[in-house]
Amino acid sequence: MNLPASAPESNVVSINVGGRIFQTTKQTLTLAGTDSLLSQLATESTRFVDRDPGLFSVLLYILRTGNLPARSTSFDIRDLIEESRYYGIEPFLIDSLSNPSQFEAFDLRKSVILPLNGRDSPSTIAPTSNGGGGLHVAHGSKITSFDWSLRRKSTVLTNFSAVDSLLEISPGVLAAGATDFPGLQIIDLDNGGFVRTTLNWENVATTTTSTVQAVGSSSEFLFASFESSRRNSNSVMVYDLSTLLPLFEMDRCDNYGVGGGDSVIPSNKLRWIRSCNLLMVSGSHASPSGVSGHVRFWDVRSRDMVWEIKERGDCFSDVTVSENLSAVFKVGVASGEVYYTDLRSLGGKGWVCLGEEKKRSLDERKGVGCRIESYGNHVFCSKGNGIELWSEVITGLVGNASRDVLEERVFRKNSFAADSGENKITGLAFGGNRMFVTRKDQQFIEVWQSPSRGV
Amino acid sequence: MVSDVSNRLKLNVGGEIFETTSSTIQSTCPDSLLAALSSTPTSHGSNPIFIDRDPEIFSVILNLLRTKRLSSAVFSKQELLDEALYYGVESLLRSAMSPPPLQAFDASLTSTITPATDGVPSAFTATAGDASLWIAHGGMISVYDWSLSHAVTVRTHLADVTSICRVWDEAAAIGSGSASGLHFYDLSSGRYLGSTHWTDPEDPRIHKSRVAAVTDSPRGVFASFDCLHRENSVLQIDKSTLQVTAVIGQQSGSSAKNSVPEKLRWVPDNGLLIGSAVQRGVFGCSGYIRIWDPRSRDIVWETSEPGSGRSSRFGDALADVDVDVEESVIYKVCSKSGDLGVADLRKLGEDPWVYVSDENPGAWSADEGGRSRGYSVVHCYRKQVVAARGGSLEVWSSVEGKGSGGLVRRRNFVDKGEDCKRGVISRVEAGGDRLFVSRECMEGVEVWESSNASSVISVV
Repeated sequence: MNLPASAPESNVVSINVGGRIFQTTKQTLTLAGTDSLLSQLATESTRFVDRDPGLFSVLLYILRTGNLPARSTSFDIRDLIEESRYYGIEPFLIDSLSNPSQFEAFDLRKSVILPLNGRDSPSTIAPTSNGGGGLHVAHGSKITSFDWSLRRKSTVLTNFSAVDSLLEISPGVLAAGATDFPGLQIIDLDNGGFVRTTLNWENVATTTTSTVQAVGSSSEFLFASFESSRRNSNSVMVYDLSTLLPLFEMDRCDNYGVGGGDSVIPSNKLRWIRSCNLLMVSGSHASPSGVSGHVRFWDVRSRDMVWEIKERGDCFSDVTVSENLSAVFKVGVASGEVYYTDLRSLGGKGWVCLGEEKKRSLDERKGVGCRIESYGNHVFCSKGNGIELWSEVITGLVGNASRDVLEERVFRKNSFAADSGENKITGLAFGGNRMFVTRKDQQFIEVWQSPSRGV
Repeated sequence: MVSDVSNRLKLNVGGEIFETTSSTIQSTCPDSLLAALSSTPTSHGSNPIFIDRDPEIFSVILNLLRTKRLSSAVFSKQELLDEALYYGVESLLRSAMSPPPLQAFDASLTSTITPATDGVPSAFTATAGDASLWIAHGGMISVYDWSLSHAVTVRTHLADVTSICRVWDEAAAIGSGSASGLHFYDLSSGRYLGSTHWTDPEDPRIHKSRVAAVTDSPRGVFASFDCLHRENSVLQIDKSTLQVTAVIGQQSGSSAKNSVPEKLRWVPDNGLLIGSAVQRGVFGCSGYIRIWDPRSRDIVWETSEPGSGRSSRFGDALADVDVDVEESVIYKVCSKSGDLGVADLRKLGEDPWVYVSDENPGAWSADEGGRSRGYSVVHCYRKQVVAARGGSLEVWSSVEGKGSGGLVRRRNFVDKGEDCKRGVISRVEAGGDRLFVSRECMEGVEVWESSNASSVISVV
């Protein structure tokens, strides 16, 4: 064909896409990665692609600038995704739309809601493991998965009547468990929800079944917190993440006696702290004598417990750990206030209250049902129908250098999301540049993101 | 893909130049107009082939050929259908536009089809084969094709049509609750084909019999007839002569055990006919299921509820019955508990029922009130059992499970809480990966589909 002749040493290449001629440079094309169709084109002699030129122009713009052009709004995002897959540059599209670095905690607004079919409200949500901003939602016996664009979904049916713990362990593979159904099921989403295998607590007698209280993972391990059906023993099982073979158990608690001092509280939150190679294990339980709980830190390699915090007074309703802030955060069940303790000096100071530390009666239950999660450099705590955002302010005024700054570390709070008439928040999750919120009795997911970066 | 020059093809559609490859066109729709153009000897020269059509809509069609997907464009369904018909790529458009395989547990309401006049459907039927929908409303029959576009409306001589069955590709057998006889219409031409009446020269009581249910089979059409004098029976009618070839299960009376079958199903595997009737009274449901062998006209098996002995659950009689003809399984739904009774057609005995229940709270525990007590509809489609009670719609789907003997059935609501306020569901049928629902005294037929696209709602 009559493509414009170019000097052999020239970097400018012409591509005919569906009848329209595009000109770009070899560098731009090779940006796409060696496996992509575009970088192959850079080496071809005749450059003709039998695809839609309009969609290609958008993808070329993304390749050149890293951003999505404004004119892309005239295309459906689903077409762009399909087209980017054809050219092998979907990661660029994901990056331009939902990059964790574009998460702007102070500029979060409710941008879209994702309706769920049926009448069950979400029981638990889990972001996709690639961090691209997709989400898995368990509602009733179903799990609905939204991809990073939130435009495509698929739903599978599970054996559970309700899923309580959910984690994506590798793309398209979920670990799901319930507190009323035995075993941790490994579900293959690409295979229509086929249960690949069911993991059980190996060390209990085979006659009893054990239920899953929490699930977590590191790059090597899969952790599952089990409780026996008689509820008198619990443990955290460690599996190999790739083979799913059981490796060992830790954090085991048994209570076969009558009315012993400590009731056996199963752990309902497992968080891997990558920078310290530690697993945070926490659980709390309300009894007539008050709420008690534990936070333990396990070194998985040596199988030793590194540190334990026992909670009796203002026990937590939820705990989280932030690696960026090197701190553990809890929300007190009685006071409803947020506390932190420094990860670098475990056991040093104990909890430091971030809110107003008034003398409160321990009979109060202000923090019941509060959730706390960390993402990036921020900690999010749900309270009733609103969210508190805690962030550290670096002042340089360390210690008592100034009268104004009495604390060692300065955390400040912003509150949002508490519109009147909204229901209580039941779940928080983060992925890509998004925050996902579920509320009581609502059959949809709220997606919060910065309005300039929405899909 | 990157391809050699000889394969390339230039098209000038309405003044805009498109370039594609002949393999793209040949591989997808070898019989289309485009394929014919691309194989002409002049097509590979430097002069593009000129087609005098709109270029923008052609780019959608061309992308359909390239990707097998329909790019979500601004064009209407009708525009795309017309254009696809012009280029001869209708089959490709159809596969791109059809909904994904129905997962009833994840279906959502996508549209409501309302006929222009007398919009309250009195009966409808959906077919799995060509995914079309026939709605009877106010003495008319409207046909909607696979894309749910209105194809044709035929006015019948009946004042109302209460049962409709497809007997050939284009022919319907219809019955009326207000006029006697079974009537046949060719819907493509709108032509009346004939009628069949149940008369008996030796029995003067048998006349003016009305049709209660119709089903089709390769052996002929089966229709249950009910006389004013409470005689009823199932007739086997030859499809070519429209003559009665057999009278099956004639009975008289109006009690629960011998009322006219209001649901008929033909099981192709063993050539059996299954009929059922349920009466709904203030004291609950009562009814029967009866299976005939049309060859011998004998009753092969029957059960009636509430019955004696252990064959029924006390106070929990059947509310509706359907047959999964592919699996040879009868499903009944219990009127009080809402549990599902499953019976293997090949192993029917005195008490063949296996009951499945789900702790997941379903419609049966919901606050439906006394109004809809015992009123329910069950329909099965591709191993999924859709049950409706009052205004609520739920589905029993089987999950591969460990432990309790293989199959676990889970009950899930299909609809939302507010959906059931639209009215009591009178009929549920599935066809072409769609679920069709009609409600009493409500206009239109609801279309429920499962989808891979999430309906993102923007709130900014």
